[in-house]
Amino acid sequence: MIESPVSDADAEEPTGIEGDGRVVDPRPAAPGRRRWLFWPAVAVGVVGILVTGALALISATQYNHNEHRLLKLRTDDAGSVLGASVPSIQTVLASAASVADVTNGNVQKFTKFIAPYAGPGKQFSSVSLWKLSSPMSGPLTVIGTSPELSTSMNLAVPFFAQVRNASKVAVIGLLHASQPRLGYGFGTPSAGPYVAYGESLLPADRRTRVKNRSSFSDLNFAIYLGATPRAQNLLVGGGSNLPVTGTHSTVSVPFGNTFLTLVVSARGSLAGALPRDLPWIVAIAGLLLSLGAAALTSRLIDRRAHAERLAGSLERIAKENRRLYSEQRSIAQTLQHALLPDKLPTVRGVETSARYAAGVEGVDIGGDWYDLIAMDDQRLLLVVGDVSGRGLRAAATMASLRYAIHAYAAQNDPPATILTKLSKLVSVGSSGQLATILCALVDVDAHRLTVTSAGHLPPLLLSNGSGTYVQSEVGVPIGVSTSATYTSIDVSTPPSATLLAFTDGLVERRGESLDTGLARLRDAATGNHAELDDLLDDLIGQLRHDGAEDDTAIAGLRWLD
Amino acid sequence: MAGLDASNTAEMAFDLNVVDRSELVVALSGELDITNVERLQSAVSDALDRSPERLVVDLSRLRFADSSGIALWVQWSTLVDEIELREPSPLLRKVIGSMGLSRTLNVTP
Repeated sequence: MIESPVSDADAEEPTGIEGDGRVVDPRPAAPGRRRWLFWPAVAVGVVGILVTGALALISATQYNHNEHRLLKLRTDDAGSVLGASVPSIQTVLASAASVADVTNGNVQKFTKFIAPYAGPGKQFSSVSLWKLSSPMSGPLTVIGTSPELSTSMNLAVPFFAQVRNASKVAVIGLLHASQPRLGYGFGTPSAGPYVAYGESLLPADRRTRVKNRSSFSDLNFAIYLGATPRAQNLLVGGGSNLPVTGTHSTVSVPFGNTFLTLVVSARGSLAGALPRDLPWIVAIAGLLLSLGAAALTSRLIDRRAHAERLAGSLERIAKENRRLYSEQRSIAQTLQHALLPDKLPTVRGVETSARYAAGVEGVDIGGDWYDLIAMDDQRLLLVVGDVSGRGLRAAATMASLRYAIHAYAAQNDPPATILTKLSKLVSVGSSGQLATILCALVDVDAHRLTVTSAGHLPPLLLSNGSGTYVQSEVGVPIGVSTSATYTSIDVSTPPSATLLAFTDGLVERRGESLDTGLARLRDAATGNHAELDDLLDDLIGQLRHDGAEDDTAIAGLRWLD
Repeated sequence: MAGLDASNTAEMAFDLNVVDRSELVVALSGELDITNVERLQSAVSDALDRSPERLVVDLSRLRFADSSGIALWVQWSTLVDEIELREPSPLLRKVIGSMGLSRTLNVTP
């Protein structure tokens, strides 16, 4: 069974990533055993072999069937050929007998007539004239060699009896003589007194040589006198040893008053070499194809398993990447959280709150921050800032600015002085960084604000259902110039006022005017009478759209009058 | 997947034109933000190393720039004698103004 390459991976599962970043297959095929014997491949091979076997078997069966058929046809053909020789024999003898009849047994006339047909190398080895009524007297005349029949009166008498009654030539086999021969006897149709008797010699060894390219050269045959192939009646045979063995076909053809039986078998393949060899060709080719198909199938399966393992590796790698990514993001968030104040100071007479929302894309830590510093038991410094860029460099700059502000606040420096001093700490020329900072000094009992901005958006002052932005003269961001100076604006605050300072992530949207965003914030804030914490959460929820890329920091302070 | 997908970079193109030995004109188009600001910075830094006296930043075809782009322009302003930010879009002009940088960056008109 193919092993599933993608199993449930736990944390220790090798991811397939080498130290130098190469991807390797972390689960190579089982060592020591070359896995090529997959069961589908075996099935393919077996099916192929079975089909091949069936085809070869069909092919062989067809071939044999065909051979039988062809043999029968050839045999019947050969039989016809044999049978066709009878009329010529019959005609000659009948005519000779008629001549004798008509000439009243004139020997010379008979001899003259029959001479072309009798003698060595002619149709008959001998022809003789006999008186039908007295066979015992022997032939009246003989042309050619002496007939064997004349020496076998015991055979002659019954033979001539047959001749007497026959309308066809009577045939007798004289096969036991030293020179075997066939005898043919024919009287006249009108049953005259004379019989013309001819003999043909058969090969002494009963074998005939068939010419090489004649139509019978691919056959073994045996010709028997009579209706059945009895060995003692063998006239002549050709081809291989007699009797004819193996698959054979038999035909009996009428031959005078008897039959010739022809038994034929094939020497080699009648249909040819290719049909004979075809079953083997099919078997071997099919076997090779089946093995090839099985090998190919197993290779494909192997490859696919390999591909699946790699896919599994890639999946694990992707999973690992996702894990690393979210790990880094959570590290960023932890760090961000660590750099922001974890506890806001409490000052009598006001409540404070702050929120930080990270941008959705960020794996990097952002540069936004908020701070609330208690100067003494009546005064608070509210700070919101935004360092340009992202990552550790922005975070480091942000941290040093934050702590510097703490130091200057501890010295009781007013906001404008703090920002002026901060300008000397950062230089955009060398660091490429700018920081916008909003610094507001809150005198709680006096209900007064002193607001200074270094390139930063103004804070929003809410009271009684209305809101205004506290717009001071905006100085350049920190880092633009080491000799920058800043001015403040002093503002009185009504009772129960709320001050909100924020970074541009809360109000800025790509393609939209800044004024639109500021108006939106004011509308949302003035209509919201929730607790300060909830107000901040609501504003962040409402004003930041899903997928906002920028960070946002917001800090709030509310008089508890 | 966020952070791992390099194709999140905003589309931005720029064109540097050295008018004569003392003036460099950089024309920007598209959107300049944190994803492509470094590319712009490295492309222009060589030209700035040759200390042109005057740098003109043509913003007429720039649709958007965030604080990282603005910080880059401020950085450029410290490397040349004179800078001019020519024809920023009204939105961009407002943002630069709200940061108190209109004078520093010499926004024209």
